[in-house]
Amino acid sequence: MILLRLISWQYARKHVLRSLLTVAGIALGVAVFVGMHTANQSVLYAFHSTVDRIAGKTQLQVWSGEAGFDEEVLERVQAATEVKVAVPVIEAVVSTGRAGQGNLLILGVDMTGDRSLRDYDLESADAEIIEDPLVFLAQPDSLIVTRDFALRNGLALNSRLSLSTMEGEKQFTVRGIMRSGGLTRAFGGNLAIMDIYAVQKIFGRGRHFDRIDLTLGDDVPLERGQAALRRVLGPGFQVEPPSGRVAQFDSILRVYSISLNISSAFALFIGMFIIYNSFAIAVTQRRTEIGILRALGATRGQIRRLFLGESAAAGLLGAALGVGFGILLARGAVGQVGGMLEGIYGLTQRANEIALNPRLISLAFLIGIVTSMLSAWIPAHSAARVDPVQAVQKGKYQVLSAGENRLRRRIAAVLAILAAASLAMGRSMIVFYGGYLLTIVAALLLTPTLALWLARTIRPALRGFFPVEGALAADSLIQAPRRTSATVAALMLSLAMVIGLGGVTRASYRPLIDWMTSSLNPDMFVTPSENLSDRTYRFPLAMRGELERIPGIDHVQSVRTARMIYRGGPVLVIGIEVDRVSRRVHSRVIAGDPERMFAVTAAGAGVIISENLAELNRLSLGETLELATPEGLLRLPIAGITRDFSDQQGSLMIDRSVFQRWWRDDAVNIFRVYLRRDAVAGEVKERILERFRHERRLFVLLNQEVRQYILRLTNQWFGMTYVQIAVAVLVAVLGIVNTLTVSITDRRRELGVIQAVGGLRKQIRYTIWMEAVAIGAIGSLLGLALGAISLYYTLEMTRRDFSGMRFDYEYPLPIAAAIVPIILAAAFLSALWPAESAIRSSLVEALEYE
Amino acid sequence: MIQLTQVTKQFDGKRRVTALEEVSLGVDRGEMAAIVGPSGSGKSTLLNLIGGLDRPSSGEVRIDGSLLSGLSDDGLTRVRRDKIGFIFQFFNLLPTLTCVENVSLPLHLRGWARQKTEERSRELLELVGLGHRLEHLPEELSGGERQRVAIARALAVYPPILLADEPTGNLDTHTGQEILKLVHDLHDRLGATILIVTHDAGVAQSCQRTVTLRDGRIVEDHRR
Repeated sequence: MILLRLISWQYARKHVLRSLLTVAGIALGVAVFVGMHTANQSVLYAFHSTVDRIAGKTQLQVWSGEAGFDEEVLERVQAATEVKVAVPVIEAVVSTGRAGQGNLLILGVDMTGDRSLRDYDLESADAEIIEDPLVFLAQPDSLIVTRDFALRNGLALNSRLSLSTMEGEKQFTVRGIMRSGGLTRAFGGNLAIMDIYAVQKIFGRGRHFDRIDLTLGDDVPLERGQAALRRVLGPGFQVEPPSGRVAQFDSILRVYSISLNISSAFALFIGMFIIYNSFAIAVTQRRTEIGILRALGATRGQIRRLFLGESAAAGLLGAALGVGFGILLARGAVGQVGGMLEGIYGLTQRANEIALNPRLISLAFLIGIVTSMLSAWIPAHSAARVDPVQAVQKGKYQVLSAGENRLRRRIAAVLAILAAASLAMGRSMIVFYGGYLLTIVAALLLTPTLALWLARTIRPALRGFFPVEGALAADSLIQAPRRTSATVAALMLSLAMVIGLGGVTRASYRPLIDWMTSSLNPDMFVTPSENLSDRTYRFPLAMRGELERIPGIDHVQSVRTARMIYRGGPVLVIGIEVDRVSRRVHSRVIAGDPERMFAVTAAGAGVIISENLAELNRLSLGETLELATPEGLLRLPIAGITRDFSDQQGSLMIDRSVFQRWWRDDAVNIFRVYLRRDAVAGEVKERILERFRHERRLFVLLNQEVRQYILRLTNQWFGMTYVQIAVAVLVAVLGIVNTLTVSITDRRRELGVIQAVGGLRKQIRYTIWMEAVAIGAIGSLLGLALGAISLYYTLEMTRRDFSGMRFDYEYPLPIAAAIVPIILAAAFLSALWPAESAIRSSLVEALEYE
Repeated sequence: MIQLTQVTKQFDGKRRVTALEEVSLGVDRGEMAAIVGPSGSGKSTLLNLIGGLDRPSSGEVRIDGSLLSGLSDDGLTRVRRDKIGFIFQFFNLLPTLTCVENVSLPLHLRGWARQKTEERSRELLELVGLGHRLEHLPEELSGGERQRVAIARALAVYPPILLADEPTGNLDTHTGQEILKLVHDLHDRLGATILIVTHDAGVAQSCQRTVTLRDGRIVEDHRR
């Protein structure tokens, strides 16, 4: 501790910028980790909180995917002897249409029984109506809102509130206001209670409920009640405590969570690199100090502990700052995360608070300290190995011996062979990811050798342009490969990651566009929401005929989509008129005969599944797919596998007739509208809007708008690639500044001698600039090469574990062509300050090193 | 106290360089000897081997009966810590620490209590005549004063052996003589074994014994 105060603290005070950089490295990693996870958890917490608060005294909930189920199921549940109270529920999210107020969660309940499960705790109410459920029932425009919502919107008892319904804008009357607390905090307070039968009508839900909330008899254990209800209802229903629905959200967001973890890991890696580099420099600069300490009796262990102690202290400070910045980041990002989850998964939530998780914060501190110590481990080890004799003799430095390089090369060769062998060893997750890890370790071990080889290769070219400066710059790299290899390695890994992720982004664009062209080819889409993935409102099937009668419309297809549970995970069920669709849609077929698969599916005797569903669940053509429905187990042979981007976790297409039969649901989410050749889209859109203006809430989205919407979501999803490119550039700048600082410290005497014998300042400057650009070029070359391998692994990871999508290997040349000049420019810019510092240092002092 | 037997030290680089060749030397307890010779004759290498900073390629180095070549790195460090004090030509003080802190450093490395460390450091700085400069930083001191701090630091645990590499080499004549006088004074008062590597004939003549090295070999060993 005393050494930390005497030695480390003094060094930190003297090198404030470098110390801040070290702390910033940790803060960067921790901030991204905390920020992204907190934003994500805040949205998830809002989901969880809403589920919890709405659950009230509910012990079990019965549901059957998003499609809901027929009203008669309620009678079956209520008839079970284990059940004490069972009430139906519909949840729907609507836009308030008021600036800054976002969405409103409408909870449709049956007032006759619901209050035995949920306490509305009314502070003011139209007593007669609220107290008598039958009167409430008779007033379908009745709404109960929370006190917060009422205050924010200036609502009082009997105020009128306009909401967009399936039948157009409707006026509702506030008949009760709930006191703040418990239930009213659900959905950030934007909650309204409405009669369930009114909700069915307003949202086009037919005679369906979303779920049933229930309590069991006094002496009935949860497990017994659960088992009894499962027997009564069959496999098409989930019977779970409210926490079971929370698990469903988590499962839907699986891919998003994995992506989040990758980004966090990338940020932590960058943070580790910065710390490593800072400590490596510190060891170089403090070699004399270490030598003195060793000469005075400090053991290697004491030196190692001194540096590790410093790194732990920096880790603690960096983690504290990182947590603070992370929370700020989360505050900014939570809205965006919520929006993205809504757009991609159709999960709407109102997260207006940051959910701080003490475990996450503790983990962040642990990660900060541990990663800091891990990053400082090698420099601390080098510090402990400093030779006191050489250290106290000015102007000398230790270099990596040839023997060590040879050993590294041999280990790298063995690891590369093992990695190649792992590719041939099947689908095991451990073998696959182990192979990837071995490849990276092999590349890292080979970096000093490859950097040396490349430096020798480019030496003649550099010398050709600038005989003295070019040779000196290349020689600096050749003489001390270890000095450069850390930066080259970090640059290489960053670029490899950018190429891998950027490559997947690009590889997915073309198939996505192909899919949009071949499958999303109607001229327009008529939807009940602005958002294609929102399934709150539904149209009646009869609307199709009405649409087809509008002049200019040639052909209309009705689509019903609902997220269901398949093998414990979410899957998007698409019920369409297969016969009609097959005439217009030409999806890319992965397996199966195109004509036969549509014919079989249209006849209700088969199912067409998406490529990613097949990949993620190891399904193949001809296999029988079993899907639990409210009417029992639906068994259909897989008639075909096609490329479909409808859902990240897979989709399956069945005929609408099958959907209607097994879910007893003929509602429609989207109408796909094809126009006559001579029709003008804009005019037809106006006609549709005019035709339904007073009857229906609907939106008409032109093909181009839908395509742009999907591309915008995709860009948002892949937005992190651009962040990673920025981080790669940051790595380049920091790494090269640090490397040059060490290089200049090491070569102070050499640079002094050059100046003493007549070297001009500009020559020194050019030498350092060229050294920087050479490091950038070497790192870029190796990064682009490792990127080719990284892309292969990233594509495989995407296919086998993330989205199940199989994309063609295509090296992202435009990304490579864009990033290399950026890296070289960053390298040059990062050399400006070190070069000026080198030429402005005291010549006498530099020569004293002699 | 110090016994070197057939010690050879070679450095492997692009070409192998022999810094010391089969050197044998014994130094008695309390003796004060100068090691002289031209540049590259192996003086500093000899001092580094005796100080346990380096290991011989062959031969034996014994300090107070302990064979250094048989010790681990930590073992060598303990020998340095307990038995040897170093005085360098360029002082090698830590620039960010005050005089007291510089002197207390070896004691902290031994895990001494803070109060005891401070008392000893003040006592040593008084001994070298710097009682009035306790809280000064090295950059605030003259060359001679810096070397006095370095000597106080070398004496921190009153080691039986003091090794000085050109202790006056970076000082003017007058200051050099003062430092030499201080070293003699300490030798008389503390009775330590002192080896001084020097180019300065005056320094060498002031010692009881002068060992002359040339091309890695002892060519003369003169006792007065």
